[in-house]
Amino acid sequence: MIEITDLVFDYPGHRALHGVNLSIAASAITALVGPNGAGKTTLLRLMAALETPYDGRVTIDGLDTRAAPRAIHERLGYLPDFYGLYDALSVRRCLFYAARSHGIGPGEAKGAAEAAAARVGLADRMEQPAGALSRGLRQRLAIAQAIVHRPKVLLLDEPAAGLDPQARRDLSRLLLELRDDGMTLVVSSHILAELEDYSDRMVIVDNGRIAGGESIALKGGNRLRVTLAQAKEGLADFLKAHGAEVLETGPDRAVVALAGEADARAALLAGLIAAGYPVSEFAQDTQALEEVYFARVRGRP
Amino acid sequence: MNPELQRNLWLEASPFRLALIAGLLLLVFAAGSVAPTGLMNTPRAALGLYWFFAVLWGTRSAALSVVVEIRERTWDSQKLSSIGPWTMVWGKLLGATAANWFGALVCLPFILWPVWHDDGAGAALLYGVILLSLGVFAQAVALLSSLVLIHRQTGNWRLDTFLCQVAGIGAAFAYYSLWSSIRAFRESGTTTLAWWGHDFTLGSFHLVSLLLFLGWALIGCWRAMRSELRFANGPYVWLAYLAYVVIYSAGFESEIGAKLRGQFDVPAASIPVALAGISLMATAYGMAFLESKDPVRLRWLGDQIRSGRWYSAFLATECWMLSYAATLIAGLALAALWAGTPSAALAVLAMLGFMTRDICIFLLGRMFGGPKGDFGALGILAALYLLLPTLLRHAHATFLLIPGPHTDSLLSVMAAWAQGLGFCYWVARVIRDRAPRS
Repeated sequence: MIEITDLVFDYPGHRALHGVNLSIAASAITALVGPNGAGKTTLLRLMAALETPYDGRVTIDGLDTRAAPRAIHERLGYLPDFYGLYDALSVRRCLFYAARSHGIGPGEAKGAAEAAAARVGLADRMEQPAGALSRGLRQRLAIAQAIVHRPKVLLLDEPAAGLDPQARRDLSRLLLELRDDGMTLVVSSHILAELEDYSDRMVIVDNGRIAGGESIALKGGNRLRVTLAQAKEGLADFLKAHGAEVLETGPDRAVVALAGEADARAALLAGLIAAGYPVSEFAQDTQALEEVYFARVRGRP
Repeated sequence: MNPELQRNLWLEASPFRLALIAGLLLLVFAAGSVAPTGLMNTPRAALGLYWFFAVLWGTRSAALSVVVEIRERTWDSQKLSSIGPWTMVWGKLLGATAANWFGALVCLPFILWPVWHDDGAGAALLYGVILLSLGVFAQAVALLSSLVLIHRQTGNWRLDTFLCQVAGIGAAFAYYSLWSSIRAFRESGTTTLAWWGHDFTLGSFHLVSLLLFLGWALIGCWRAMRSELRFANGPYVWLAYLAYVVIYSAGFESEIGAKLRGQFDVPAASIPVALAGISLMATAYGMAFLESKDPVRLRWLGDQIRSGRWYSAFLATECWMLSYAATLIAGLALAALWAGTPSAALAVLAMLGFMTRDICIFLLGRMFGGPKGDFGALGILAALYLLLPTLLRHAHATFLLIPGPHTDSLLSVMAAWAQGLGFCYWVARVIRDRAPRS
């Protein structure tokens, strides 16, 4: 969905991005992580066609940001890290304006505004001024404005900053729902814990470069975690004998890579039980975000 | 309805606000009508209030229509909208000033009624058009200034708003003064004006001129908004404006040429070139001060030229570059036409060298001082043109710093171009030295 090729961006006297190459998959949530000043916001702004690259190109849905920025804006929603709202306008008017300004006709804008408000849980606050909303609700309104035109791509820069735990959980749920509806999301943050709940892939931006050169799959794939209720000898050998590549092992647990689809997993589980292994957990393994992050970013604790 | 206009109307034109304005104005006019003679004159009060609503307050509203978006961090979402540049311009221009126009329009009948009564409907209509276009012109200049200031990223919204307001008010006064000057001409017995050899009545010439300036101000807003909304602008609109400036200013040859030829022994054909050159130079200095002069963009332009991508570089040229190039061409043509008067020709060549130096000072000001560097550059130019010549006058060496009819004209040309080229080299060095290392 998003292709970035040899992307260079300069500020006066300082290169923010050094020939970045990156491919971002459709209908997935990609976390953009990295320390402050690494270039995450610059990269997001370039994806949003809000900045012009010094060199290289960004294409979204096949459109070049330099050649067709306005066409990209029609397909894209963007929530900046420091966003603003029209505080004097009601939620209804904010969303109606957002819909109209994204080319939705006057007849349909009312419905689009109500749908977006319902999606983020603001349907009961339509007449409330934006300035009277709490921080979490303002965040929801800002996201509703960004998705009111049902974009294909949603870019969010530090969306959970300053939110309380409940608001963060609501945000995670909303982002997963949007992904399940087919939207491609790129979420930037330097707080890894908040990304773990919903990210499918991770891109580490470090000093204007992509650490490791590509995005990292966090969920899905063929990694399986096997946990036993009690330790039993020979687990690793059994798994190897049944075609699994053992990645990590212990007396009562193992992480393996298994080729094949559901049938292969079912056969392995059946084999384990038949061999008397007390399997208490047999699940797809999710890599710990922090673990991957520090493995990739050299020279950091 | 234009969504930007609608949003602005929601924010700026609440029924309570409009009712308050109308009530207060009608109260003022009612008081004026019953006040003793000489204490308060209703038409004069209405004119003053029209200026307040349309110009003083209107320019502030127009400037704030962009500055507030930056301050409240809503500008990015506007840039990401699919509203077109022209729709965005008039949505802001009329929407953000809706309350101002409401007040101004309430005042207008009280201003025009006495004109209608004394001079007829035609005069009242003409005066109405002038007043309305004056308000739009002032607000368009303020909006244009705010769009230019965005690129400079000064970060001081109060100062930005004030500067935009000053620009708008200044434009309104210039506009009104030009119109008012007709009366002075008429009193001195002049009723026509010669332009490109044709006589035009003063009133019609001024009206068309004013409307053309208003048109260019609106085109300027549209072009600046296009740039903000990530449309590629290209140099063609600015080139068209320069062509307009050349044609408009050179046309006064018939009016001014006779007077000049009486004082200087120069060919008649050179006068339009001189007038056009002066106007072009004014645009070069103006844009060199106003534009962002982004060092990254300048380096990128250099890269395009070095790699032979001339058309790409041409499309990305800034306005000051085009004005500078046009001034150089006009200046060289003028020097050639004045070849029979060497001191005049050399003075023109020296002027071009000093202009090159001055433009480089603006560039260096931006590179070393950021957006505030433009004011530093103005300070340096003030020193070069006002303070230092005073010190050098006793040594008869002012020709080293400023253009003019010097006895050492050739030395002045050499000094001017030595400085001009030296500053060009300095600019190139700074751009190269500050290029980030990969």
